[in-house]
Amino acid sequence: MSESLIWWSVGIYVLVALTIAVLSRQGKSGSMSSYFLGDRQMNGFVSALSYSATTYSAFMMVGLAGLTYKGGVGALGFEIIYFAGVSLVAIFGPKFWAVGKKFGFVTPSEMLGHRYKSKPVAVAVSVASCLFLIPYAAVQLSGVGYLMQGMTGGAIPFTTGLMVATTLAILFSYVAGIRSVMWTDSLQAVLMIVVSTLVALLAISELGGFSGLFHILETEHPQSLSVPGSGLFSFVTFLGLTIPWFFFALTNPQVSQRLFIPSSLKAMRQMLIGFLVFGFVYTLVSILWGFTALAAFPDLSNADMATPTLLASDMIPPVLSALVMIGIMAAAVSTIDSIMLTLASMLSRDVYANVKPGTSEKRQLTIGKIVLPIIAILAYGFAQLELDLIAVLSVAASSGLAVMVPAIIGAFYWRRGTAAGVLVSVIGAGLFVVYAYINGGKVLEIPAGIWGVPLSTLLFVGVSLLTEAPTAVADEFLKEANNHRKTAQPAVSDNPTVKNA
Amino acid sequence: MKTSKWIWFVWLLTVLCYVVPYGFLSDVQAWYGSFLFWSLTGLLIIGANIFMTKDFEEY
Repeated sequence: MSESLIWWSVGIYVLVALTIAVLSRQGKSGSMSSYFLGDRQMNGFVSALSYSATTYSAFMMVGLAGLTYKGGVGALGFEIIYFAGVSLVAIFGPKFWAVGKKFGFVTPSEMLGHRYKSKPVAVAVSVASCLFLIPYAAVQLSGVGYLMQGMTGGAIPFTTGLMVATTLAILFSYVAGIRSVMWTDSLQAVLMIVVSTLVALLAISELGGFSGLFHILETEHPQSLSVPGSGLFSFVTFLGLTIPWFFFALTNPQVSQRLFIPSSLKAMRQMLIGFLVFGFVYTLVSILWGFTALAAFPDLSNADMATPTLLASDMIPPVLSALVMIGIMAAAVSTIDSIMLTLASMLSRDVYANVKPGTSEKRQLTIGKIVLPIIAILAYGFAQLELDLIAVLSVAASSGLAVMVPAIIGAFYWRRGTAAGVLVSVIGAGLFVVYAYINGGKVLEIPAGIWGVPLSTLLFVGVSLLTEAPTAVADEFLKEANNHRKTAQPAVSDNPTVKNA
Repeated sequence: MKTSKWIWFVWLLTVLCYVVPYGFLSDVQAWYGSFLFWSLTGLLIIGANIFMTKDFEEY
């Protein structure tokens, strides 16, 4: 594919997306909940597409296809278990939504700070989210870098791809906050699913249809069709990969914050079901890309080059591959801008406003807008390190965030949970996971992903039992969370800091 | 409440996602092995979520 075709495609995409971003501006976005939550009035359709684009990213088309290329069908199992975990939205979504409306929460960490009656909880959860999500954003940037480099045979270097994606992420989130992010996400999601499905079907037909593809796999790469297969997906590794991802919908604030946004529970249902249908198709397409690349180009040295090689091959018409490349880049950008926006809201509302009590809404918003590009630049720096296997790194971020599982579930189901329990579990287990990754990702031959949740649960329960719980706040919180079916009332005004703290 | 009944079905599917491919399909190296199993499970999860959230429509 020629360099000029790629640049023309990028140019047209930027123009269309920026137009949509500008059009998405409605009235004033002067308050935190307006800028970061769209006034809690987003409809189900846009929410579903945006949730999809935020969740699925360069990781899927580059990383998951690469993981399939390298380890076979286990990559599908990994995604399907994540998929099962999204069902947690059906349980926790209405609870998040109801307490968000009632207490005016803007961020999930603010919610935890309120529930456990502790500013340090809000601060610790926000800082931990940054520590793990900035590398995660970097992973998405690397995806764009690999893609553009791979598809142009190196004519567009890795670093240029990173710069383009970082700039776009900053622009899309700046124009109108969550509104521009969600509307540009929607465009990107539609483009991605349509074009990538076309590519999968085209590539498979080149190999003689589904039967042709699976015939090649069954005869030449039989291990790719079972687990543990070639060995990448040993049972223990599979557990280590899947446990953190199972809880992704709760632990990743860029998606859990979305539970505050739908205008009604009906809209939330549309978001959930729409996302699941999108995700199912997108998952199969990504897996089939990996399989197609394995069947057609079995000798690649780097599994992450499976998708770029497939797109640059003669199997796909250049115009279509350029479109998909834009789609993948857009998907990466849509994840990064959502992460940036969420982290910016957490740093301004839960860190800055708690450290400096009495900070006004306007001031918080200004701080949030200052923090946005700083987060982007940090992610850019991390991506430049050109780390090896995208999917595995991405999971490292999820393992780190999974230590928040007991604090989040406990918030809604265990009134005895305490702030000390949250702090010790998040900081203690978080440090343990980081230590494990520094030392090769395993402790006592067990992957860090398996350690995180049980360890943090033990710490959370143990320390909570030894300390006094904020039962009055807990009771009020649980009452609202459980009465979500009756909570179709307007939100209270957004208070800037943790209440009752 | 509908939600709690269906969520147990999802948790059962989740356990089967580990047990069946590793326990029973590790020698089936064809499309109708783990590939088909996990794909069908994905569809069942979508179905379970549709039932689970049916009463959201009213709010």
